[in-house]
Amino acid sequence: MQVPHKEHLYKLLVIGDLGVGKTSIIKRYVHQNFSSHYRATIGVDFALKVLHWDPETVVRLQLWDIAGQERFGNMTRVYYREAMGAFIVFDVTRPATFEAVAKWKNDLDSKLTLPNGKPVSVVLLANKCDQGKEVLLNNGLKMDQFCKEHGFVGWFETSAKENINIDEASRCLVKHILANECDLIESIEPDIVKPHLTSSKVAPCWWVMQQS
Amino acid sequence: ISLTLLFSFCRNLLARKQNARLDKQNDLGWKLFGKVPLRENTQKDSKKIQKEYEDKTGRPSKPPSPKQNVRKNLDFEPLSTTALILEDRPANLPAKPAEEAQKHRQQYEEMVVQAKKRELKEAQRRKKQLEERCRVEESIGNAVLTWNNEILPNWETMWCSRKVRDLWWQGIPPSVRGKVWSLAIGNELNITHELFDICLARAKERWRSLSTGGSEVESEDAGFSAADREASLELIKLDISRTFPNLCIFQQGGPYHDMLHSILGAYTCYRPDVGYVQGMSFIAAVLILNLDTADAFIAFSNLLNKPCQMAFFRVDHGLMLTYFAAFEVFFEENLPKLFAHFKKNNLTPDIYLIDWIFTLYSKSLPLDLACRIWDVFCRDGEEFLFRTALGILKLFEDILTKMDFIHMAQFLTRLPEDLPAEELFASIATIQMQSRNKKWAQVLTALQKDSREMEKGSPSLRH
Repeated sequence: MQVPHKEHLYKLLVIGDLGVGKTSIIKRYVHQNFSSHYRATIGVDFALKVLHWDPETVVRLQLWDIAGQERFGNMTRVYYREAMGAFIVFDVTRPATFEAVAKWKNDLDSKLTLPNGKPVSVVLLANKCDQGKEVLLNNGLKMDQFCKEHGFVGWFETSAKENINIDEASRCLVKHILANECDLIESIEPDIVKPHLTSSKVAPCWWVMQQS
Repeated sequence: ISLTLLFSFCRNLLARKQNARLDKQNDLGWKLFGKVPLRENTQKDSKKIQKEYEDKTGRPSKPPSPKQNVRKNLDFEPLSTTALILEDRPANLPAKPAEEAQKHRQQYEEMVVQAKKRELKEAQRRKKQLEERCRVEESIGNAVLTWNNEILPNWETMWCSRKVRDLWWQGIPPSVRGKVWSLAIGNELNITHELFDICLARAKERWRSLSTGGSEVESEDAGFSAADREASLELIKLDISRTFPNLCIFQQGGPYHDMLHSILGAYTCYRPDVGYVQGMSFIAAVLILNLDTADAFIAFSNLLNKPCQMAFFRVDHGLMLTYFAAFEVFFEENLPKLFAHFKKNNLTPDIYLIDWIFTLYSKSLPLDLACRIWDVFCRDGEEFLFRTALGILKLFEDILTKMDFIHMAQFLTRLPEDLPAEELFASIATIQMQSRNKKWAQVLTALQKDSREMEKGSPSLRH
């Protein structure tokens, strides 16, 4: 018997201060290349990444690359709507961008929650780790502690230039989103599940669970 | 020297070189078929070829192989084998039967006729191209004369005349572009070169004190903390390297780096209430390419002072939404089908318009095309920015209606790099900026009034 093909579509935000490498990370992740010549993002840019999660599951990630200037605050917050997860990025060579991480996280949590009221999964990316200035990160335990305190599901030292840890970070985030979605099912009454949903291209996780 | 001029000069030079190369290839190509002169009728060609062939068969020793020519130009290798069909077989193989030789002769002739046709077509195309280029260059030359001798000396009386407006739409020649932009933008703020020098000196002082880590005690800037200012200057540094990076002229060490830095720095001192906002670096860069530093600063400050630019650069979200709402009125009016498709997919103007408006298209369109948009923007004002947006949407309507949300969003935030100028302007020209007898400004004012009343009436609705 053929295994039902499961497809998920997730909107992911990529946020963080200006110039920390959000666009570079996305370009590396989606197009497998790097250039030091990216133009500043004004407003929002988009990318689509298709992951073959396991033999039966395809995950489509809609990546929203959001301009980092603090001034754009109110303007870019409308882009948060209906996101399922986020990366918050900082630049290990610029301590101020790390100081802004907590601010980005609080802002995100105050404007975006999952349907069950819980905050969305967020992974912290310490980018430009190839630059050798690991002052902030010489203590992994401290970072673990920081993530726990601020509700990040994980953190990674990344380099878009050297292609370090970007796929890993994404897998971590997607794993948490999938798990979150399964938690959501439990809170939904079983009689809401209607068979006609099989025709829907994007099957919600709870429906997938019913089938398997 | 105007850089734009330099660019167009290089482009012409390059085009000429390419043309010369093509001509050369053309010569070589024909040698492959013997010395067949260009523009002779095919009848005669085949006769001549026949003769050559007979000469060849009459002489058992091998004539110079066409391959010798091939060595000179490898591009023509595929054609070079054409005449091989006429060769005798090597001595160790049975000789070619007469009927096969005859067949080969025919095939060869056919091939030559076809090749000749192609060459003729190509020659015609090139001639047309050359004529077109001459025509364009001549019309630019004429336009420069008209702008310099007739329009600029009589700016006040002439600028809004029908004739000038039409010429304006064709694109302002790069050599007068800066002057026209300056005049059209005006200097409502009465900024002088001295004021620019003062603002720049102050900015430099700040950079110095920041780099030495000295403390600042400047009471006049109360309300704008040192941290804010530091952040602003830091952002400028970061963004300059990301402004037209492919041109390699604004980056550290590039010829225009200091100018761009100066204008943006001076502006944060001139308008600390606005400061530096992303997008500004692109606008300043385009002005620098067409004006001297001080004049670019004057144009920059006055341009940002226009109502639409002020709304966006101060990130007045409410007012921005009003602009988007006005845009949607004309969107629905001009492109109802696409409008419905966007609505269905939840593709709101803030997703694609923000980049276009903040950078005045200089980031999303090829630079020379963006300059042409600026030309008419200087003539028609903010309305033209939104008209351009509709022109772009209309140009790609068929493609867009077949796309889903993410592909539309990707497409619009990264427009095709080879977007053709004439097609875009033709598309823009068909956009009507009239909705139920209301013009852009009237629609905008009405919406502004509505949103103000809504704010007053139900403050709870405010975000």
